[in-house]
Amino acid sequence: MSVAGTLEGTSRKRTAGSNRRRLGKRVYGVVLIAAILLFWEVSSRLGWIVSAYWPPVSQIFQAAIVQLAGGDILVSLAATLRRAAIGFAVGSTLGVALGILLGRSKVLRIALLPLIEIVRPIPTPAVIPPLIMFLGVDDALKIFAISLATFFPVFTNTFAGVATVDDTLIQTARTFRTSWARTLLRVILPATLPAIAAGLRTATSLTLVVAVVSEMIAGSSGIGYYLVEMQYALRPDLMYAAVMYLAITGYTINRLFLVLEARLIPWMGKT
Amino acid sequence: MSQRSDVYRTSLLGLLSPAIVLSIWETAGLLGWVNPILLPRPSQIVWTLVELVANGAVFPPLLYTVALFVVGYVIASILGVTIGVAMATSETLYGVLEPLVEILRPIPKSALVPVLFLFLGIGKATMITVVALAAVFPVLISTFQGVRGLDPVLLDTARTFQTSRMRTIVSIVLPASLPMILAGMRVALGLGLVLVILAEMLAGEDGVGFRILDLQRAFQIRDMFAWIFVLVALGGGLMMLFDLVERRLVPWRGKT
Repeated sequence: MSVAGTLEGTSRKRTAGSNRRRLGKRVYGVVLIAAILLFWEVSSRLGWIVSAYWPPVSQIFQAAIVQLAGGDILVSLAATLRRAAIGFAVGSTLGVALGILLGRSKVLRIALLPLIEIVRPIPTPAVIPPLIMFLGVDDALKIFAISLATFFPVFTNTFAGVATVDDTLIQTARTFRTSWARTLLRVILPATLPAIAAGLRTATSLTLVVAVVSEMIAGSSGIGYYLVEMQYALRPDLMYAAVMYLAITGYTINRLFLVLEARLIPWMGKT
Repeated sequence: MSQRSDVYRTSLLGLLSPAIVLSIWETAGLLGWVNPILLPRPSQIVWTLVELVANGAVFPPLLYTVALFVVGYVIASILGVTIGVAMATSETLYGVLEPLVEILRPIPKSALVPVLFLFLGIGKATMITVVALAAVFPVLISTFQGVRGLDPVLLDTARTFQTSRMRTIVSIVLPASLPMILAGMRVALGLGLVLVILAEMLAGEDGVGFRILDLQRAFQIRDMFAWIFVLVALGGGLMMLFDLVERRLVPWRGKT
């Protein structure tokens, strides 16, 4: 179910030999990208595509460097990341907690699951306009929207994960008269961890998307706001450069997550 | 995952808590605990909704959004499955495409919306591209993982019978990896919907997303809530449809 994983995830078992062959093959891919970039550069320079929104690649890289030196891109990125991190923390904590509680308690399930299922299909951008009226356009709104988007994948995965916990484990805990809270914490939580991690991974990519979305719809800072601002300012080069930085950020977060996952849940994917 | 379908078999018990929440909301509005301009009562919203449906005003924007979404989603699904299978079955294509996919995939697709507006102009083509771009990667990646995770015996058997490559893909690889493909398409469904609504909000000419933000800015809160309900129904409806199709296509899902 690791839909948001990487393409490499499955190749881990392969032998070193095939890995080396693969690396050789990947050269074609790098060549392909270089060819695309070259075509972009040439088509813009020679005026094959006459458009103000088609700046040569070199100009974008130049803009990216100027942007980085100017520092305002880092400020925007930091603002976005801060909100994303807080929202992610809140949303995933609630998702895990409610997922486990609802998975174990029938009363809570009957009380809360229908409500969660009603809210779940709402596309996040749609909750932003009504929330503006209650939370304003500041951090509270954006963090709320991000938490909401994070909550659902984490909750769904945790909830499904709890359902698959081996009943023998729970029976054993009961035999030893382990308390309810202790059973949750010491037996169910670790057993559900791989499912939780899958949910968290889906959530990480969503988090960044929604952070950018909320800044676009109701922004005064952050990279989403920056992008819209540059669109109106007709500065495509700065816009492309900002997207590039965002892509690097997204990639780094995903990598970081995979490393943490391998470190913290070594039994992931081995059951 | 199987609990999810239980929910749709709405038992009376399941309706209890939404009913309680709605009645608290209604009474809070009636007793003036909340500002009725900011948060209209559910009965008022329902009434507006009924009016919208009765005079037919709901249908043009709804159809507009659905059409944009469906076209983008279908394009994304076809592309995602095709590229995913190609990359998983051919080492050469994997080498050629993997770096490109890995560069494009981590870009939060919402960031591409203003870029595409500049690039393609504001219009239907842009909206469809946005949806397709957002939806293609989940499909591609889970297709890839599904095909790579196939039992090698299946493929070896096909090879033993000298089944052609095309035929192996169509009658063995695709059916066997269908559950994974559908898992990716489920993620893509939600993402695609988010992006179409966002695109309509940022530069829409019509559509449900455009209506919601437009009404909020015009401070017609009751209508805005009615349109949000339309959107909830749309999202929920699409999800249910997906569940239905999935259960039909993969009846063994969740039973192994």
